[in-house]
Amino acid sequence: MYEEPYRWVEAVSNRRTYLDEQFKQGSPVVAFAYDGGLLLTTVSKGTPKLYEIYDRIALAGMGHPADLEKLRFSLLEMAHTEGFNRSPSDVTGARLVKYGVAPVIKQAFEEVFKAPFIVKILLAELGQKREKDAFLTINYDGTFEETTAYAVLAATPTIQKEMTAYLRQEAGPALSLEQAVGVALRTWALGDRAQQQAVEESNQSDETSRSSRAAPLPTDAASLLAHLRSSVGEKMIECALLERNYPGTSKYRALKPDELGRLLPKDLRSPVAE
Amino acid sequence: MGMQGDFYQLLKEQGYQLGGSAAGAPGQEMTTATTILAFKYRDGVLVAGDRRATAGNMVMYDRTDKVLEIDPHSVLAIAGVPATAYEMVRILEHSFKYYRRTQLQELSFDGKLRAVSKLLKENVAAALAGTGAVVPVFAGYDVDHGAAKIYFYDILGAEFEGVEYAVSGSGSPTIRGILHYLNTWGDRPLSALSEEEATIQTLRLLTSAAEFDSATGGVNRDANLYPVVKLITQDGLRTVPDSTLKPLFERNVTRVRR
Repeated sequence: MYEEPYRWVEAVSNRRTYLDEQFKQGSPVVAFAYDGGLLLTTVSKGTPKLYEIYDRIALAGMGHPADLEKLRFSLLEMAHTEGFNRSPSDVTGARLVKYGVAPVIKQAFEEVFKAPFIVKILLAELGQKREKDAFLTINYDGTFEETTAYAVLAATPTIQKEMTAYLRQEAGPALSLEQAVGVALRTWALGDRAQQQAVEESNQSDETSRSSRAAPLPTDAASLLAHLRSSVGEKMIECALLERNYPGTSKYRALKPDELGRLLPKDLRSPVAE
Repeated sequence: MGMQGDFYQLLKEQGYQLGGSAAGAPGQEMTTATTILAFKYRDGVLVAGDRRATAGNMVMYDRTDKVLEIDPHSVLAIAGVPATAYEMVRILEHSFKYYRRTQLQELSFDGKLRAVSKLLKENVAAALAGTGAVVPVFAGYDVDHGAAKIYFYDILGAEFEGVEYAVSGSGSPTIRGILHYLNTWGDRPLSALSEEEATIQTLRLLTSAAEFDSATGGVNRDANLYPVVKLITQDGLRTVPDSTLKPLFERNVTRVRR
Protein backbone atom coordinates (compact mmCIF):
# COMPACT_ATOMS: atom_id res chain seq x y z
CA MET A 1 0.00 0.00 0.00
CA TYR A 2 3.05 2.28 0.31
CA GLU A 3 4.33 1.45 -3.15
CA GLU A 4 2.88 4.64 -4.57
CA PRO A 5 5.20 7.60 -3.90
CA TYR A 6 2.39 9.74 -2.56
CA ARG A 7 1.51 7.13 0.07
CA TRP A 8 5.10 6.98 1.21
CA VAL A 9 5.31 10.75 1.61
CA GLU A 10 2.08 10.65 3.52
CA ALA A 11 3.35 7.88 5.78
CA VAL A 12 6.51 9.82 6.55
CA SER A 13 4.52 12.90 7.36
CA ASN A 14 2.28 10.87 9.69
CA ARG A 15 5.42 9.70 11.34
CA ARG A 16 6.49 13.29 12.00
CA THR A 17 3.17 14.04 13.65
CA TYR A 18 3.47 10.89 15.75
CA LEU A 19 7.05 11.65 16.80
CA ASP A 20 6.37 15.33 17.54
CA GLU A 21 3.67 14.12 19.89
CA GLN A 22 6.19 11.90 21.74
CA PHE A 23 8.49 14.77 22.65
CA LYS A 24 5.84 17.16 23.95
CA GLN A 25 6.33 16.19 27.59
CA GLY A 26 10.07 15.55 27.36
CA SER A 27 12.64 17.36 29.43
CA PRO A 28 14.76 19.86 27.46
CA VAL A 29 18.57 19.70 27.47
CA VAL A 30 20.93 22.68 27.65
CA ALA A 31 24.64 22.60 26.80
CA PHE A 32 27.18 25.39 26.40
CA ALA A 33 30.80 26.36 26.91
CA TYR A 34 31.77 28.08 30.15
CA ASP A 35 35.04 29.18 31.68
CA GLY A 36 36.31 25.69 32.64
CA GLY A 37 34.99 23.63 29.71
CA LEU A 38 31.52 22.47 28.68
CA LEU A 39 28.40 22.15 30.82
CA LEU A 40 25.39 19.91 30.13
CA THR A 41 22.19 20.25 32.12
CA THR A 42 18.76 18.68 32.24
CA VAL A 43 16.10 17.68 34.73
CA SER A 44 15.22 14.00 34.70
CA LYS A 45 12.57 11.75 36.16
CA GLY A 46 14.61 8.86 37.47
CA THR A 47 16.54 7.58 34.45
CA PRO A 48 19.63 9.68 33.82
CA LYS A 49 19.87 11.54 30.51
CA LEU A 50 23.53 12.61 30.52
CA TYR A 51 26.29 10.14 29.73
CA GLU A 52 30.02 9.78 29.13
CA ILE A 53 30.88 8.51 25.65
CA TYR A 54 34.62 8.97 25.35
CA ASP A 55 37.55 10.86 26.85
CA ARG A 56 36.26 14.25 25.65
CA ILE A 57 32.74 13.47 24.43
CA ALA A 58 29.46 13.55 26.37
CA LEU A 59 25.95 12.55 25.34
CA ALA A 60 22.56 13.96 26.26
CA GLY A 61 19.23 12.76 24.97
CA MET A 62 15.49 13.28 24.90
CA GLY A 63 12.95 10.61 24.12
CA HIS A 64 12.49 6.92 24.81
CA PRO A 65 15.06 5.52 27.28
CA ALA A 66 15.36 2.17 25.45
CA ASP A 67 16.09 3.87 22.12
CA LEU A 68 18.59 6.18 23.76
CA GLU A 69 20.34 3.17 25.35
CA LYS A 70 20.60 1.43 21.98
CA LEU A 71 22.20 4.46 20.35
CA ARG A 72 24.39 5.11 23.38
CA PHE A 73 25.81 1.60 23.09
CA SER A 74 26.56 1.94 19.41
CA LEU A 75 28.27 5.29 20.05
CA LEU A 76 30.36 3.71 22.82
CA GLU A 77 31.31 0.77 20.62
CA MET A 78 32.33 2.97 17.73
CA ALA A 79 34.27 5.41 19.90
CA HIS A 80 36.21 2.75 21.79
CA THR A 81 37.14 0.54 18.85
CA GLU A 82 38.22 3.62 16.89
CA GLY A 83 40.17 4.95 19.88
CA PHE A 84 41.90 1.60 20.30
CA ASN A 85 42.58 0.85 16.64
CA ARG A 86 43.66 4.37 15.72
CA SER A 87 44.12 6.77 18.62
CA PRO A 88 41.96 8.63 21.13
CA SER A 89 42.48 11.88 19.21
CA ASP A 90 40.86 10.33 16.12
CA VAL A 91 37.58 9.89 17.97
CA THR A 92 35.59 13.00 17.13
CA GLY A 93 31.96 13.89 17.64
CA ALA A 94 31.56 14.85 13.99
CA ARG A 95 32.68 11.44 12.74
CA LEU A 96 30.53 9.59 15.26
CA VAL A 97 27.50 11.54 14.13
CA LYS A 98 27.98 11.85 10.38
CA TYR A 99 29.21 8.32 9.66
CA GLY A 100 27.82 6.61 12.74
CA VAL A 101 24.45 7.27 14.30
CA ALA A 102 22.83 9.88 12.02
CA PRO A 103 22.50 7.51 9.01
CA VAL A 104 21.08 4.81 11.30
CA ILE A 105 18.47 7.17 12.73
CA LYS A 106 17.54 8.42 9.27
CA GLN A 107 17.11 4.93 7.91
CA ALA A 108 14.90 3.87 10.81
CA PHE A 109 12.82 7.00 10.35
CA GLU A 110 12.18 6.37 6.66
CA GLU A 111 11.51 2.65 6.86
CA VAL A 112 7.83 3.15 7.47
CA PHE A 113 7.14 -0.51 8.25
CA LYS A 114 9.53 -0.47 11.19
CA ALA A 115 9.62 1.52 14.40
CA PRO A 116 11.61 4.77 14.33
CA PHE A 117 13.99 5.83 17.10
CA ILE A 118 12.03 8.06 19.45
CA VAL A 119 15.06 10.12 20.30
CA LYS A 120 16.82 13.44 19.90
CA ILE A 121 20.51 13.45 20.62
CA LEU A 122 23.09 16.02 21.63
CA LEU A 123 26.82 15.34 21.63
CA ALA A 124 29.23 17.75 23.31
CA GLU A 125 32.89 17.55 22.42
CA LEU A 126 35.66 19.26 24.35
CA GLY A 127 38.28 20.40 21.84
CA GLN A 128 42.02 20.38 22.50
CA LYS A 129 41.69 24.14 22.23
CA ARG A 130 38.68 26.22 23.17
CA GLU A 131 38.04 27.13 19.51
CA LYS A 132 37.67 23.43 18.71
CA ASP A 133 34.79 22.81 21.12
CA ALA A 134 31.79 21.43 19.28
CA PHE A 135 28.15 20.59 19.86
CA LEU A 136 26.22 18.27 17.55
CA THR A 137 22.50 17.71 17.65
CA ILE A 138 20.61 15.01 15.77
CA ASN A 139 16.87 15.14 15.24
CA TYR A 140 14.63 12.04 15.15
CA ASP A 141 14.77 12.05 11.32
CA GLY A 142 18.56 11.94 11.25
CA THR A 143 19.22 15.57 10.33
CA PHE A 144 22.13 16.95 12.28
CA GLU A 145 23.55 20.33 13.07
CA GLU A 146 26.94 21.40 14.35
CA THR A 147 27.53 24.47 16.51
CA THR A 148 30.41 25.79 18.56
CA ALA A 149 29.22 27.77 21.58
CA TYR A 150 25.93 26.19 22.67
CA ALA A 151 23.20 23.74 21.72
CA VAL A 152 19.84 22.66 23.09
CA LEU A 153 17.23 19.93 22.70
CA ALA A 154 13.53 20.64 23.12
CA ALA A 155 10.14 19.46 21.86
CA THR A 156 9.91 21.75 18.81
CA PRO A 157 12.29 23.83 16.67
CA THR A 158 10.48 27.01 17.76
CA ILE A 159 11.17 26.31 21.41
CA GLN A 160 14.76 25.41 20.62
CA LYS A 161 15.11 28.79 18.93
CA GLU A 162 13.74 30.59 21.96
CA MET A 163 16.21 28.76 24.18
CA THR A 164 19.23 29.48 21.97
CA ALA A 165 18.19 33.13 21.74
CA TYR A 166 18.25 33.25 25.53
CA LEU A 167 21.63 31.51 25.64
CA ARG A 168 23.03 33.95 23.10
CA GLN A 169 22.29 36.75 25.55
CA GLU A 170 23.20 35.06 28.80
CA ALA A 171 25.82 32.38 28.21
CA GLY A 172 29.45 32.93 27.35
CA PRO A 173 32.91 31.45 27.76
CA ALA A 174 33.69 33.82 30.65
CA LEU A 175 31.05 32.44 33.04
CA SER A 176 32.19 30.69 36.20
CA LEU A 177 30.73 27.25 36.90
CA GLU A 178 28.27 28.65 39.43
CA GLN A 179 27.05 31.33 37.00
CA ALA A 180 26.88 28.75 34.21
CA VAL A 181 24.72 26.39 36.26
CA GLY A 182 22.35 29.30 36.95
CA VAL A 183 22.09 30.22 33.25
CA ALA A 184 21.64 26.57 32.26
CA LEU A 185 18.76 26.07 34.68
CA ARG A 186 17.02 29.28 33.62
CA THR A 187 17.34 28.22 29.98
CA TRP A 188 15.91 24.82 30.88
CA ALA A 189 13.02 26.54 32.67
CA LEU A 190 12.38 28.74 29.64
CA GLY A 191 12.17 25.70 27.38
CA ASP A 192 10.10 23.60 29.76
CA ARG A 193 7.64 26.45 30.34
CA ALA A 194 7.25 26.99 26.59
CA GLN A 195 6.58 23.27 26.11
CA GLN A 196 3.93 23.30 28.84
CA GLN A 197 2.33 26.35 27.28
CA ALA A 198 2.27 24.66 23.88
CA VAL A 199 0.53 21.63 25.35
CA GLU A 200 -2.07 23.80 27.09
CA GLU A 201 -2.69 25.81 23.91
CA SER A 202 -3.22 22.73 21.80
CA ASN A 203 -5.73 21.46 24.38
CA GLN A 204 -7.67 24.70 24.29
CA SER A 205 -7.38 25.41 20.58
CA ASP A 206 -10.56 23.51 19.84
CA GLU A 207 -12.76 25.77 21.90
CA THR A 208 -11.11 29.18 21.88
CA SER A 209 -10.20 31.11 18.78
CA ARG A 210 -6.57 31.05 17.69
CA SER A 211 -6.32 34.82 17.64
CA SER A 212 -6.30 35.02 21.43
CA ARG A 213 -2.81 33.63 21.82
CA ALA A 214 -1.31 34.15 25.24
CA ALA A 215 1.03 37.10 25.57
CA PRO A 216 4.77 36.21 25.58
CA LEU A 217 5.83 35.10 29.04
CA PRO A 218 8.35 37.15 31.02
CA THR A 219 11.96 35.97 30.75
CA ASP A 220 13.40 37.65 33.85
CA ALA A 221 15.44 35.45 36.18
CA ALA A 222 12.85 35.53 38.98
CA SER A 223 9.96 34.17 36.94
CA LEU A 224 12.14 31.51 35.30
CA LEU A 225 13.36 30.36 38.69
CA ALA A 226 9.79 30.33 39.93
CA HIS A 227 8.87 27.94 37.09
CA LEU A 228 11.92 25.81 37.84
CA ARG A 229 11.02 25.58 41.50
CA SER A 230 7.46 24.56 40.75
CA SER A 231 8.41 21.96 38.12
CA VAL A 232 11.43 20.29 39.70
CA GLY A 233 9.45 18.76 42.53
CA GLU A 234 10.26 15.07 42.69
CA LYS A 235 12.60 15.20 39.69
CA MET A 236 16.36 15.36 39.71
CA ILE A 237 18.58 18.14 38.38
CA GLU A 238 21.41 16.62 36.38
CA CYS A 239 24.63 18.44 35.52
CA ALA A 240 27.70 17.00 33.81
CA LEU A 241 30.96 18.65 32.83
CA LEU A 242 33.71 18.15 30.32
CA GLU A 243 36.42 19.90 32.28
CA ARG A 244 39.42 21.18 30.39
CA ASN A 245 41.81 20.92 33.35
CA TYR A 246 40.51 17.69 34.87
CA PRO A 247 43.49 15.41 35.57
CA GLY A 248 43.88 12.28 33.45
CA THR A 249 42.60 11.52 29.97
CA SER A 250 38.86 11.26 30.75
CA LYS A 251 37.47 14.76 31.07
CA TYR A 252 33.84 13.84 31.83
CA ARG A 253 32.52 14.36 35.33
CA ALA A 254 28.94 14.26 36.60
CA LEU A 255 28.34 16.75 39.39
CA LYS A 256 27.57 14.94 42.64
CA PRO A 257 24.49 15.99 44.63
CA ASP A 258 26.47 17.79 47.36
CA GLU A 259 28.55 19.79 44.87
CA LEU A 260 25.50 20.59 42.78
CA GLY A 261 23.70 21.66 45.94
CA ARG A 262 26.36 24.30 46.57
CA LEU A 263 26.22 25.57 42.99
CA LEU A 264 22.45 25.92 42.64
CA PRO A 265 20.81 29.34 42.89
CA LYS A 266 20.25 30.11 46.56
CA ASP A 267 16.49 29.76 46.69
CA LEU A 268 16.67 26.34 44.98
CA ARG A 269 19.16 24.74 47.31
CA SER A 270 16.85 23.17 49.84
CA PRO A 271 14.51 21.06 47.67
CA VAL A 272 17.13 19.24 45.59
CA ALA A 273 20.24 19.22 47.72
CA GLU A 274 19.63 15.89 49.41
CA MET B 1 25.57 -6.04 21.22
CA GLY B 2 28.09 -5.93 24.04
CA MET B 3 25.60 -5.49 26.84
CA GLN B 4 28.04 -7.03 29.30
CA GLY B 5 30.47 -4.18 28.66
CA ASP B 6 33.37 -6.41 27.65
CA PHE B 7 35.64 -4.43 25.36
CA TYR B 8 38.08 -7.27 24.71
CA GLN B 9 35.22 -9.48 23.55
CA LEU B 10 34.14 -6.70 21.21
CA LEU B 11 37.65 -6.48 19.76
CA LYS B 12 37.76 -10.23 19.21
CA GLU B 13 34.41 -10.19 17.44
CA GLN B 14 35.99 -7.74 15.03
CA GLY B 15 38.84 -10.14 14.35
CA TYR B 16 41.45 -8.75 16.70
CA GLN B 17 43.99 -11.17 18.12
CA LEU B 18 46.52 -10.36 20.81
CA GLY B 19 50.05 -11.38 19.89
CA GLY B 20 49.01 -12.38 16.37
CA SER B 21 50.60 -15.48 14.88
CA ALA B 22 53.48 -16.11 17.19
CA ALA B 23 56.04 -17.99 15.21
CA GLY B 24 59.31 -17.90 17.13
CA ALA B 25 62.28 -16.47 15.33
CA PRO B 26 65.25 -18.39 16.73
CA GLY B 27 68.48 -16.53 17.12
CA GLN B 28 66.78 -13.18 17.25
CA GLU B 29 67.18 -11.29 20.50
CA MET B 30 63.98 -9.89 21.88
CA THR B 31 63.89 -6.67 23.83
CA THR B 32 63.51 -7.67 27.48
CA ALA B 33 65.31 -6.73 30.70
CA THR B 34 64.21 -4.84 33.73
CA THR B 35 63.76 -4.63 37.43
CA ILE B 36 60.33 -3.70 38.70
CA LEU B 37 59.12 -3.73 42.27
CA ALA B 38 56.04 -2.87 44.26
CA PHE B 39 55.52 -2.76 47.99
CA LYS B 40 52.94 -1.47 50.40
CA TYR B 41 53.92 1.53 52.49
CA ARG B 42 52.03 3.56 55.06
CA ASP B 43 49.63 5.41 52.70
CA GLY B 44 49.18 2.91 49.89
CA VAL B 45 51.38 1.14 47.41
CA LEU B 46 54.62 2.21 45.73
CA VAL B 47 55.47 0.86 42.29
CA ALA B 48 58.82 1.50 40.63
CA GLY B 49 60.88 0.39 37.68
CA ASP B 50 64.25 1.08 36.11
CA ARG B 51 64.29 2.64 32.67
CA ARG B 52 66.50 0.42 30.54
CA ALA B 53 65.29 -1.65 27.60
CA THR B 54 67.78 -4.15 26.21
CA ALA B 55 68.01 -6.65 23.38
CA GLY B 56 70.74 -9.13 24.18
CA ASN B 57 73.84 -7.13 24.92
CA MET B 58 72.49 -4.01 23.38
CA VAL B 59 70.87 -1.17 25.26
CA MET B 60 67.88 -0.24 23.11
CA TYR B 61 66.65 2.69 25.11
CA ASP B 62 67.43 4.26 28.46
CA ARG B 63 64.25 6.20 29.12
CA THR B 64 61.59 3.50 29.04
CA ASP B 65 58.59 3.86 31.30
CA LYS B 66 57.76 0.41 32.62
CA VAL B 67 55.21 1.48 35.19
CA LEU B 68 52.17 2.07 33.04
CA GLU B 69 49.05 3.79 34.33
CA ILE B 70 45.84 1.97 33.48
CA ASP B 71 43.42 4.14 35.37
CA PRO B 72 43.58 6.58 38.29
CA HIS B 73 43.89 3.72 40.80
CA SER B 74 45.91 1.02 39.10
CA VAL B 75 49.16 0.41 37.25
CA LEU B 76 50.76 -2.46 35.41
CA ALA B 77 54.52 -2.63 35.89
CA ILE B 78 55.97 -4.65 33.07
CA ALA B 79 58.87 -7.02 32.64
CA GLY B 80 59.23 -8.91 29.42
CA VAL B 81 58.57 -8.03 25.82
CA PRO B 82 57.53 -4.37 25.73
CA ALA B 83 55.60 -4.62 22.46
CA THR B 84 53.15 -7.12 23.96
CA ALA B 85 53.08 -5.38 27.33
CA TYR B 86 52.21 -1.99 25.86
CA GLU B 87 49.48 -3.60 23.80
CA MET B 88 48.07 -5.27 26.92
CA VAL B 89 48.04 -1.96 28.75
CA ARG B 90 46.21 -0.33 25.87
CA ILE B 91 43.59 -3.07 25.92
CA LEU B 92 43.20 -2.83 29.70
CA GLU B 93 42.93 0.95 29.66
CA HIS B 94 40.20 0.85 27.04
CA SER B 95 38.46 -2.10 28.70
CA PHE B 96 38.18 -0.41 32.10
CA LYS B 97 36.92 2.83 30.54
CA TYR B 98 34.50 0.97 28.31
CA TYR B 99 33.13 -0.94 31.28
CA ARG B 100 32.66 2.23 33.32
CA ARG B 101 30.99 4.09 30.48
CA THR B 102 28.65 1.30 29.41
CA GLN B 103 27.74 -0.07 32.85
CA LEU B 104 27.76 3.32 34.60
CA GLN B 105 29.90 2.00 37.45
CA GLU B 106 33.59 1.27 37.98
CA LEU B 107 34.87 -2.23 37.32
CA SER B 108 35.66 -3.82 40.68
CA PHE B 109 39.27 -4.44 41.64
CA ASP B 110 38.71 -8.18 41.32
CA GLY B 111 37.26 -7.62 37.87
CA LYS B 112 40.39 -5.71 36.87
CA LEU B 113 42.56 -8.58 38.12
CA ARG B 114 40.59 -11.07 36.07
CA ALA B 115 41.07 -8.91 32.99
CA VAL B 116 44.85 -8.95 33.46
CA SER B 117 45.13 -12.72 33.86
CA LYS B 118 42.75 -13.29 30.96
CA LEU B 119 45.06 -11.31 28.67
CA LEU B 120 48.10 -13.21 29.92
CA LYS B 121 46.37 -16.53 29.27
CA GLU B 122 45.50 -15.43 25.74
CA ASN B 123 49.15 -14.68 25.29
CA VAL B 124 50.51 -18.06 26.38
CA ALA B 125 51.21 -19.27 22.82
CA ALA B 126 53.26 -16.21 22.01
CA ALA B 127 54.99 -16.40 25.39
CA LEU B 128 56.05 -20.02 24.82
CA ALA B 129 57.18 -19.26 21.28
CA GLY B 130 59.56 -16.76 22.81
CA THR B 131 58.19 -13.68 21.11
CA GLY B 132 55.81 -12.27 23.67
CA ALA B 133 56.51 -13.29 27.27
CA VAL B 134 55.25 -10.69 29.72
CA VAL B 135 55.64 -11.07 33.49
CA PRO B 136 53.92 -8.08 35.04
CA VAL B 137 53.13 -6.79 38.49
CA PHE B 138 49.64 -5.34 38.87
CA ALA B 139 49.21 -2.92 41.74
CA GLY B 140 46.48 -0.59 42.80
CA TYR B 141 44.24 0.78 45.44
CA ASP B 142 40.93 -1.02 45.97
CA VAL B 143 38.72 1.94 46.74
CA ASP B 144 35.72 -0.19 47.73
CA HIS B 145 37.71 -2.04 50.37
CA GLY B 146 40.07 0.78 51.28
CA ALA B 147 43.20 -1.29 50.79
CA ALA B 148 46.32 -1.28 48.62
CA LYS B 149 46.87 -4.52 46.71
CA ILE B 150 49.71 -6.10 44.76
CA TYR B 151 49.59 -9.09 42.42
CA PHE B 152 52.28 -10.77 40.37
CA TYR B 153 51.99 -13.31 37.59
CA ASP B 154 53.89 -16.02 35.82
CA ILE B 155 53.96 -16.02 32.02
CA LEU B 156 51.03 -18.44 31.87
CA GLY B 157 48.73 -16.03 33.64
CA ALA B 158 48.64 -17.55 37.11
CA GLU B 159 47.96 -14.83 39.62
CA PHE B 160 49.62 -14.54 43.04
CA GLU B 161 48.94 -11.96 45.69
CA GLY B 162 52.02 -10.21 47.02
CA VAL B 163 51.01 -9.58 50.60
CA GLU B 164 53.83 -7.14 51.34
CA TYR B 165 55.80 -6.79 48.13
CA ALA B 166 56.35 -8.20 44.64
CA VAL B 167 59.21 -8.04 42.15
CA SER B 168 59.78 -9.05 38.54
CA GLY B 169 62.40 -8.85 35.82
CA SER B 170 65.98 -9.97 35.39
CA GLY B 171 67.25 -7.84 38.28
CA SER B 172 64.60 -9.02 40.69
CA PRO B 173 66.42 -11.94 42.39
CA THR B 174 68.91 -9.47 43.84
CA ILE B 175 66.35 -7.27 45.49
CA ARG B 176 63.88 -9.94 46.45
CA GLY B 177 66.29 -11.04 49.15
CA ILE B 178 66.85 -7.47 50.29
CA LEU B 179 63.10 -6.82 50.50
CA HIS B 180 62.65 -9.94 52.60
CA TYR B 181 65.49 -8.90 54.90
CA LEU B 182 64.25 -5.32 55.27
CA ASN B 183 60.69 -6.37 55.90
CA THR B 184 61.59 -9.03 58.46
CA TRP B 185 64.55 -7.61 60.34
CA GLY B 186 64.58 -3.93 59.39
CA ASP B 187 63.80 -1.23 61.97
CA ARG B 188 60.23 -1.26 60.84
CA PRO B 189 58.25 -3.35 58.34
CA LEU B 190 57.87 -1.87 54.85
CA SER B 191 54.20 -1.15 55.47
CA ALA B 192 55.13 1.35 58.19
CA LEU B 193 57.44 3.45 56.01
CA SER B 194 56.53 7.02 55.18
CA GLU B 195 56.38 8.18 51.58
CA GLU B 196 59.91 9.61 51.74
CA GLU B 197 61.40 6.57 53.46
CA ALA B 198 59.73 4.27 50.96
CA THR B 199 61.14 6.32 48.07
CA ILE B 200 64.67 6.22 49.52
CA GLN B 201 64.52 2.43 49.92
CA THR B 202 63.28 2.14 46.35
CA LEU B 203 66.22 4.13 44.99
CA ARG B 204 68.63 1.97 47.01
CA LEU B 205 66.97 -1.25 45.84
CA LEU B 206 67.08 -0.31 42.16
CA THR B 207 70.69 0.82 42.49
CA SER B 208 71.52 -2.61 43.98
CA ALA B 209 69.71 -4.37 41.16
CA ALA B 210 71.69 -2.38 38.58
CA GLU B 211 74.89 -3.30 40.38
CA PHE B 212 74.40 -7.03 39.70
CA ASP B 213 72.23 -7.07 36.57
CA SER B 214 73.54 -5.58 33.34
CA ALA B 215 70.02 -5.36 31.92
CA THR B 216 68.82 -3.04 34.67
CA GLY B 217 69.58 0.65 34.31
CA GLY B 218 70.54 2.41 37.52
CA VAL B 219 70.52 6.09 38.27
CA ASN B 220 72.54 8.13 35.82
CA ARG B 221 73.08 11.52 37.38
CA ASP B 222 75.10 12.85 34.45
CA ALA B 223 72.12 12.27 32.17
CA ASN B 224 69.67 13.33 34.89
CA LEU B 225 68.09 9.90 34.64
CA TYR B 226 66.11 8.53 37.56
CA PRO B 227 63.83 5.51 37.90
CA VAL B 228 60.07 5.80 37.55
CA VAL B 229 58.45 5.83 40.99
CA LYS B 230 54.67 5.95 41.32
CA LEU B 231 52.51 6.13 44.43
CA ILE B 232 48.92 4.96 44.54
CA THR B 233 46.78 5.96 47.48
CA GLN B 234 43.10 6.40 48.15
CA ASP B 235 43.28 9.80 46.41
CA GLY B 236 44.68 8.35 43.20
CA LEU B 237 47.95 8.00 41.41
CA ARG B 238 51.02 10.23 41.58
CA THR B 239 54.43 10.10 39.93
CA VAL B 240 57.32 11.19 42.15
CA PRO B 241 59.05 13.91 40.09
CA ASP B 242 62.79 13.82 39.32
CA SER B 243 63.17 17.02 41.30
CA THR B 244 62.21 15.06 44.43
CA LEU B 245 64.20 11.94 43.54
CA LYS B 246 67.42 13.87 42.87
CA PRO B 247 68.03 15.30 46.37
CA LEU B 248 66.87 12.05 48.01
CA PHE B 249 69.37 10.12 45.92
CA GLU B 250 72.22 12.51 46.65
CA ARG B 251 71.57 12.58 50.36
CA ASN B 252 70.68 8.96 51.03
CA VAL B 253 71.97 6.71 48.29
CA THR B 254 75.36 7.98 47.16
CA ARG B 255 78.07 6.38 49.20
CA VAL B 256 80.20 8.80 51.13
CA ARG B 257 83.87 7.80 50.99
CA ARG B 258 85.97 9.12 53.81
